Amino acid sequence: MEISLSPLETEEGTLAMSSIRDVTESRSAQAALKQAVGELESFAYSISHDLRAPLRTIDGFSQALQEDFAPALPPEAQSYVEWIRQGTRTMSRLIDDLLRFSHLGRQALVCRPVDMEALVREVAEGLGLGDALTLHPLPPCHGDRALLRQVWTNLLSNAAKYSRNAEPPRIQVDFQAGAYRVGDNGVGFDMRYAHKVFGVFQRLHPVEEFEGTGVGLAIAQRIVQRHGGTICAESEPGRGATFSFSIGGGTGP
Amino acid sequence: MRGIDILLVEDNPGDLALTMRALARSNVANRVQVARDGAEALEFLFREGQHGGRSDGTDPAVILLDLKLPKVDGLEVLHRLKEDPRTRQIPVVVLTSSGEQRDLVESYQLGVNSYIVKPVDFEQFAEAVRQIGFYWLLLNQRPGGPAEP
Repeated sequence: MEISLSPLETEEGTLAMSSIRDVTESRSAQAALKQAVGELESFAYSISHDLRAPLRTIDGFSQALQEDFAPALPPEAQSYVEWIRQGTRTMSRLIDDLLRFSHLGRQALVCRPVDMEALVREVAEGLGLGDALTLHPLPPCHGDRALLRQVWTNLLSNAAKYSRNAEPPRIQVDFQAGAYRVGDNGVGFDMRYAHKVFGVFQRLHPVEEFEGTGVGLAIAQRIVQRHGGTICAESEPGRGATFSFSIGGGTGP
Repeated sequence: MRGIDILLVEDNPGDLALTMRALARSNVANRVQVARDGAEALEFLFREGQHGGRSDGTDPAVILLDLKLPKVDGLEVLHRLKEDPRTRQIPVVVLTSSGEQRDLVESYQLGVNSYIVKPVDFEQFAEAVRQIGFYWLLLNQRPGGPAEP
């Protein structure tokens, strides 16, 4: 039960208004939520420990097979073993990405003024974009610098990846109509599948052409949403893509 | 009398076999003692139970400690080792699947000397084991050993 008293000014003087509320449902909903979050955390922890160990066994003994029995293994058998090892590498990356994604929902935002232009320059340097990037002036925003860095990293490395066959690859970062934008002149994608592009593990291009697990944009979207903003994409096959995102005033859910 | 090079505390048989393989390849560790759970590790280090007769001067130069262990888990073993002056100075390297912050924080709070996340890829794993062996057995100095440049 929750009991509250508030003063009520009337012509006859101050009265007290009291209300009594049954908060059982709200409290139990809170408790259920807390439990669900706790279960998710154990789940992520379990993945971290328990799924990696058997993968390591598979990869380790596949390599041991290759090394110790090379003379007895015909080339086709060797290539089968390579497939096995590739599979474990992919699964390992998927686990890492899933964990990263699940952490995002749980960590607290540390919001400060962020110089977005300086941040882009830092990320671009780390990615080695060089002259491919044209950076226009960007206004600062209020947000979690480390998480925003992740957004820029994912968008810029995507832009670089999908435009690497262009001659020459060109990436443009600017600010328009309240949104930060990253545009590239790469392979682009079909807008019919635009709604899928931010899905977890969703990819619109074959992995043999462009590597990746398909979590980068899902992570970027989650971060932008937690900042109370939105992200969207526009593209045409063969004519590049532009990703725009806005940062809301403060913290999102 | 020469001591044990490494006390390897590992319950997973696959990881155990692969670690031994990596150690053999790297050629840095000649005498490896294995404990399959936390209780056995403590028995060895404190010379109790089945290891009651272990002689002086056979303490390991470094302990490779997995975290998820049966009976007594890795963090509890770490706590006991760092709490006791007899074992506090033995370097402990946590070698685990977990990259979780809470394990990292807890381990460092308890005084771990190093924390390594086991790579899934065997080449990388073998390289990590080689580097760990080289660093802790050859490069790092411990009290009681000759201090050579």
